[in-house]
Amino acid sequence: MNALQLAGYVAVVFFAVSLAAKMIKIARMPIHIRWDLYPIPHEKRKGAYGGSYFEEVDWWTKPSNFSRLAEIKAMAAEILFVQSLFHHNRSLWYASFPFHFGLYCLVVFMALLLMGAILGAVGIDIASGSAGLVGPGVHYLTLVTGSAGWILGAIGAVGLLAARTFGNELRKASVRSDYFNLIFLLAIFVAGLVAWLTVDPGYTHMRGFVQYMITFQPAPALPGSVTALGWIVIALLFYSPFTHMTHMFGKYFTYHTVRWEDHPNIRGSKIEKAVTEALGYKLSWAAPHIKKGTWAEAATDWEKQGNE
Amino acid sequence: MSKDEITIRDFCRRTGQLVELDPGHFLLLPPPYDKLDIQPKFTRLSEENRKKLESDLDGVSALKFPRPQNEDEKRVLVEKFLSGLKKLFDRQENWTFMQPLFLTMEFCAKCQTCAAACPIYNESGRLDIYRPTFRSDILRRLYKKYVKTGGQFFAKLSGNDIDASWTMIARLMELSYRCTVCRRCAQSCPIGVDNGLVTRELRKIFSQEMGITVEPLHAKGSVNQLRTGSSTGMSRTPFLDNVEFLEEEVEERTGMKFKWPMDKAGADILLIHNAGEFLAWPENPEAFAIILEAAGISYTLSSDLCAYDGVNYGVWYDDVQFAKVALQHAEVARRLGVKKIVIGECGHAHKALTVIADRVFTGEHNIPRESSMTLLHEIIKSGRLKLDASRNDDMTTTLHDPCNLVRLMGVVEPQREVLRAVSNRFREMEPHGVNNYCCGGGSGFAITKDLNFPDFRNQISSRTKLRQILDVFQDIIEPEHKKYVCAPCSNCKGAMRDMFAAYGLFERCNILYGGLVELVVNAMVDIDKPFIEWEWH
Repeated sequence: MNALQLAGYVAVVFFAVSLAAKMIKIARMPIHIRWDLYPIPHEKRKGAYGGSYFEEVDWWTKPSNFSRLAEIKAMAAEILFVQSLFHHNRSLWYASFPFHFGLYCLVVFMALLLMGAILGAVGIDIASGSAGLVGPGVHYLTLVTGSAGWILGAIGAVGLLAARTFGNELRKASVRSDYFNLIFLLAIFVAGLVAWLTVDPGYTHMRGFVQYMITFQPAPALPGSVTALGWIVIALLFYSPFTHMTHMFGKYFTYHTVRWEDHPNIRGSKIEKAVTEALGYKLSWAAPHIKKGTWAEAATDWEKQGNE
Repeated sequence: MSKDEITIRDFCRRTGQLVELDPGHFLLLPPPYDKLDIQPKFTRLSEENRKKLESDLDGVSALKFPRPQNEDEKRVLVEKFLSGLKKLFDRQENWTFMQPLFLTMEFCAKCQTCAAACPIYNESGRLDIYRPTFRSDILRRLYKKYVKTGGQFFAKLSGNDIDASWTMIARLMELSYRCTVCRRCAQSCPIGVDNGLVTRELRKIFSQEMGITVEPLHAKGSVNQLRTGSSTGMSRTPFLDNVEFLEEEVEERTGMKFKWPMDKAGADILLIHNAGEFLAWPENPEAFAIILEAAGISYTLSSDLCAYDGVNYGVWYDDVQFAKVALQHAEVARRLGVKKIVIGECGHAHKALTVIADRVFTGEHNIPRESSMTLLHEIIKSGRLKLDASRNDDMTTTLHDPCNLVRLMGVVEPQREVLRAVSNRFREMEPHGVNNYCCGGGSGFAITKDLNFPDFRNQISSRTKLRQILDVFQDIIEPEHKKYVCAPCSNCKGAMRDMFAAYGLFERCNILYGGLVELVVNAMVDIDKPFIEWEWH
């Protein structure tokens, strides 16, 4: 096995483990105070204008207006088209949308490479002229998503770099690592584009490499530009979990566990149990108005407060 | 980079006052305030106060915090700040907000989309220090350096390195009181990062760890409320006297003679007003009493500690103070055995009791809470009041959306339905609903009145609201047209009262502000005289 292949295994495992660890860390954080932010799209009929169940008299006696479909529609628009940026920061959206859509194309591209590699491993040829629908289908989809991904991603990354360099507010808010991250991703897009245009027009080298990876067979040497792409991707897998680049995963929490989290605390519910547990946590904030002990004790320290 | 630009490095290292606020740089207002000479002057702190108080951010002092006398004092303050910073990211010390704060620290892409959404940043003429990400970036850098493992090393590597000096912390302390926590920034964020929350969490370090607070919020606010029963200082007896006086006043104004239900066990509803209403805008609780009496609603007021004052200032700066007050409210409701608590026209009391306290109340304290907007809507819909909207035809109305009630709670339509039912000349501000702009008095600004802070509020944080009001009435801006800004929130009314006075809005443009229920009573056909007195109070 060559160094690239070995590093590839380590990088994939490292990325998966560190990302999972970060997400598990977030998911296991204690219940927090409600911090709703409207509009919340899952409010049936009301979501469109930002209304909530609090608009109903005796809302706790009314059936839930929760609409998963409305929530999925809002999420899809946000994820695929970066809708909030479109509405609130149009000039940046022109760069951000191709950048993100390019990344999505590449995620699908990698999934197709994996699929092609699995099919290849079981003897199905992935090529334009292969028999049946599966082989040519995967081939063309890989071609389209990969090529679109490199091109859109590169356009977007250049646009975002330009915005960060020449845009007054963005420039002032940026530090070295912000430029470095963009250049890093631009390097991937450009390397992919070069590899595709020069040595791997049908992505056979890349698919082949993935096939060697999943079958744990030693991969032969790859053309220089594909190897370069491989090393940059590996570096990204090691680096990105420590940066805000994983915000596509973090966004699940910011939306679903904070701004859209409006489940009421009903007596006897899981929420009430979690709140009761949290009120038993210890606190040691040092200000004189705070009684040390548990949160429940501090929150009912009325007598002391009243005597001050 | 222009010499007016302030970087985080400047913020941490440069000595002396960073920014001088100059009305000439603020965004231009619509007519008739499009000329500087009829705008209020910005008061500078006296030389003595500048020397005495920490005011090196922008020459404004919200906290009135005395400058430390020597390096030892500074060192102790820095240590306390760092201790509080670490507690913000501890699951037991800050279970209340750890997850949302962690997400904001980790995932901001610094796209600056939030900047366009922030009225303070824009109205100030885009001063860097007020950019929503400015204070968040400082907290983020401190968190990464002083809280995260290996932070010292990675801070240097990434170009994010800043030192926790007293110079920087003193500015950050004041900066945490230059944001109204309206959370428009969070609403526009594609990732869901919340710079408004950062403001609140910073305030928590100062309050919960260092004991540094804004006096009207803490000593004269929540502490006073827990001691006397109300943040106004009004204890039980004066409150009961007040109510008796208002009963007589209602009889005089309307001819309706009735006792206001007080401490009535077993009533359906415990109605909690902001106690400021009884003192500053008594027509508001009067109007509520008239409506509920006429509609035959089973309710009670309470004269128990805290239960005649719905305010909960902890919501803006301190989790423990928040919980103490919220639990007092719930405890009184439990003792009275009411079916639900209804909150009067006070935005932050709405959010505090219905939304935030929802993760504090358990067991018998977990009594349902509801907005008075929905109750009013229900009463109007039921036809229990005889209303004639044409009785309000002498004025054009608009509606201010309190952030806490609307963007942060989703109560958008009921108050509009009520207003449409009692006003034929209602027009919307733009933007409105959940996209509204803050009155400028949010997060405690309305009650912070010391030194030159009111100038910051009136001229910067309330400026977009003033702009919206002028814009919506621009075609009838002359004083011969009566115009009414309906603001169903005591805090917003407080901010408007000061802003209207500073700009002479009533005298110059004949614009009055007030609550929603006053308009309802004004439209009640059973009451002969107009309920709204068209004069400046």
